[in-house]
Amino acid sequence: MTTQERLQQAAELLAPWTKSTATPEDVRLDVVIDAADLGAAVAALHGARWGYLTAITGLDDGPDAGGLQALYHFIGGAAVVTLRVSLPYDNPTVPSVCGVLASASFFERELAEMFGVTVVDTPNPDRLFLPEDWPDGAYPLRKDYTDVPAPQAD
Amino acid sequence: MTQPIEKIETPKGERFIIPIGPQHPALKEPGHFEFTVDGETVKDATVRLGYVHRGIEKATESRNYIQNLYLLERICGICSHTHAMTYSLGVEKLAGVEAPPRAQAIRVIVAELERIHSHMLWLGVAAHEAGFDTLFMYSWRDRETVMDLLELLSGNRVNYSANVLGGVKFDITPEQAGDVLKGLDFLEGRNRHYLDVVSNDALLLGRIRGVGVMTQADAERLGAIGPTARASGVALDVRIDAPYIAYKDFQPALITETAGDLEARFKVRVREIEESIRLIRLLLEHLPEGELVARMPRRIPAGEAISRVEAPRGEAFYFIKSNGTDTPARVKVRTPTIFNMATVLSLAKGLQLADMPMILVGIDPCFSCNDRMVTVREAERAETWTWNELREHGIKVYQR
Amino acid sequence: MTSIIELLLFPSGLFVLALGLAYEWVDRKLLAQMQNRIGPRWFQPFADLIKLLAKEEIVPEGVNRVLFLGLPVVALAGALTAALYVPLLGLAPAYSFPGDLIVTVYLLSLLTLCMGLAGANTLDRFSLIGATRTLTQLFSYEAPFMLALLAPALVAGTWQISGIVAHADGQWMLLTQPLGFIVAIIGLMGKLEMPPFDAPEAETEIVAGALTEYSGRGYALFRLGKNVELVVGLTLVAAFYLGGVLNPIDFVLKTGGLLLVMVGVHAVMTRMRIEQTVGLWWRYGALLVLVQILIQLVWKVAAA
Repeated sequence: MTTQERLQQAAELLAPWTKSTATPEDVRLDVVIDAADLGAAVAALHGARWGYLTAITGLDDGPDAGGLQALYHFIGGAAVVTLRVSLPYDNPTVPSVCGVLASASFFERELAEMFGVTVVDTPNPDRLFLPEDWPDGAYPLRKDYTDVPAPQAD
Repeated sequence: MTQPIEKIETPKGERFIIPIGPQHPALKEPGHFEFTVDGETVKDATVRLGYVHRGIEKATESRNYIQNLYLLERICGICSHTHAMTYSLGVEKLAGVEAPPRAQAIRVIVAELERIHSHMLWLGVAAHEAGFDTLFMYSWRDRETVMDLLELLSGNRVNYSANVLGGVKFDITPEQAGDVLKGLDFLEGRNRHYLDVVSNDALLLGRIRGVGVMTQADAERLGAIGPTARASGVALDVRIDAPYIAYKDFQPALITETAGDLEARFKVRVREIEESIRLIRLLLEHLPEGELVARMPRRIPAGEAISRVEAPRGEAFYFIKSNGTDTPARVKVRTPTIFNMATVLSLAKGLQLADMPMILVGIDPCFSCNDRMVTVREAERAETWTWNELREHGIKVYQR
Repeated sequence: MTSIIELLLFPSGLFVLALGLAYEWVDRKLLAQMQNRIGPRWFQPFADLIKLLAKEEIVPEGVNRVLFLGLPVVALAGALTAALYVPLLGLAPAYSFPGDLIVTVYLLSLLTLCMGLAGANTLDRFSLIGATRTLTQLFSYEAPFMLALLAPALVAGTWQISGIVAHADGQWMLLTQPLGFIVAIIGLMGKLEMPPFDAPEAETEIVAGALTEYSGRGYALFRLGKNVELVVGLTLVAAFYLGGVLNPIDFVLKTGGLLLVMVGVHAVMTRMRIEQTVGLWWRYGALLVLVQILIQLVWKVAAA
């Protein structure tokens, strides 16, 4: 299967949930979907054995440009399909995809602790990289984060 | 042991946990694994990462593109070239610039030398974990050859600093090429010997054959990558699936094994060294003429780029978002180890405690790759110390 | 007066301690050379010992203090006592009585037993696992090793070490009893926890095994005990299987040769898992040495 055929197939698989698409590069396909549809879209790709989830990128574009995004990058050969989910600052929530893809657990934990995105039903909600005593509500990769809040006296 | 004593006592039925790391001779790297054992059999495993978070992803957002090249090269001490190259490829994509053919070839040569260096390092470490120190000493002695070659080319043994945005920093002269070829001849001979050892040494096979078997289905389900996946028969190699730079013209062969056990992981890596040697020879023979650097704009046009490179441990994935200034809006780094880490935890169950260090090392974990985001400071002592204050404190503590 | 000198200076006491350190150096240096390293200088084991003795001894919480401090002393005392019964340097043993072979072998096991107890005494997980492995290994090699030393005793018809040595004088039992010799030398490696039998102290798994919590003097004494055990074990095997030890030069050559073989085996081997070690000893070690003894008995009956 050529890369273009792969992308074509992915586009068809994701069609029911697609809100808009873009092709930033020949080998890439960006699909914007709703957070609620994430589970179904991932299941569709997985069910057709289309590639593997290579990473979940969190993005903070700042309040003017539309807030947070979660990018789910799938790779099949040379083709890269990105599921793009926009999230509001107040209570950003995505469903866990670990039910379909067990390997997503680490990425979801990273997304949760670094961007403050609530991942519903993720099998292990513990912190992955940040220390246990990291203050709640401080999400280091958000743009408004500049330093650790001063510690409170006990 | 930091736990209070009453917790350590384990009446019947309670869990007996063997901690490995962050300070443990098996793992001279800061990860913390906990293995719940029943006698010698491992029942459960968990991992805790992040002991040396450095905040690199956040740090990239306050540095310009050129500064970031040097920062990202320092993510990992072993696959430093990989990170710099993946980042350069991404930025070049955003700028619409392609490195000249000679630069591409030199990038690949350094990348393959780095792969040899990384795999030989791994061979030594894995042998040491198995208690085979002689193989460890020999493979690290021979690894000096490839380190010397890298030093010959770049002037550095670890952070080669080969990449600049738009090309490479140094050329390979015909004399240097001759020296590299000579070094490769030596390495090839030694490598054949190591392949013989890992395929035929009875006692070593007793420790690695049939241990930690990961089937192809498991490897795909758990998201194994790189040599770990290839040892289970998964045909995954970015150099072949999505060829980049000079790999388009100089294709490496796909190396896979089907057994999926530790022996297969040994063999895949040793055979990959062989393949890398072949590739470097080919490239040195057909080194294209021309410029070393293409001109890069200072401000990178807005956009998002994804770049993928086959690091010695598997696919390295970069997502770079530019907002049109001279600093990136976001650099996402996904290193191969984090991908493979999940396989360790699931493989561990049911095996012997004695196998744990080897299983752990079997994926060639790289903790500096894993931990890269945030500076960790104890909450109750969050003031920042200057160098002099730190020194005074140190003197005070050790004076008594 | 003589016995005090014998106990404290020569052949036991200081002399055997110095000899043990010298043999440790030979062991480390040879291994380093085989592994393409330079290795330590001749005084390194001595320097290590002084450093350890000078260090503070930390007694961890929750252990039986008396046992923790007493076990290393008992272990070293056992090994030093064993040294009194063997023909060190090719000289006659300081003490001798019928049946001293049995006593010597058990005095040597005392060290291992003490290490196991020391590990079990602490609450550290690595020590506990190490102690379990140490004792498991003890029960696997002990019987075959004992039998391998009994085979020459059977030939000599005595349980007294000096008697066996006198009988073995100039007669290389290595040639007539090759199986027994192999088991004896491998058994000695197991006893000393040399690779491939170093699962009880596998540093990449359980740090330092049973002795993980030991530091300073206790650790130094255990190490010394090991060194003495090395000398005593080498002497026994050389005297029994390599035609006795006649004079100091003969002693150094023969024990040195044995050590070279042991280090060579060490250098080319991967560490075995504990269940592999046990399997090896009970499946092959015990079998080999029993075959050897059977041959010996049949031979003896046939010759008589």
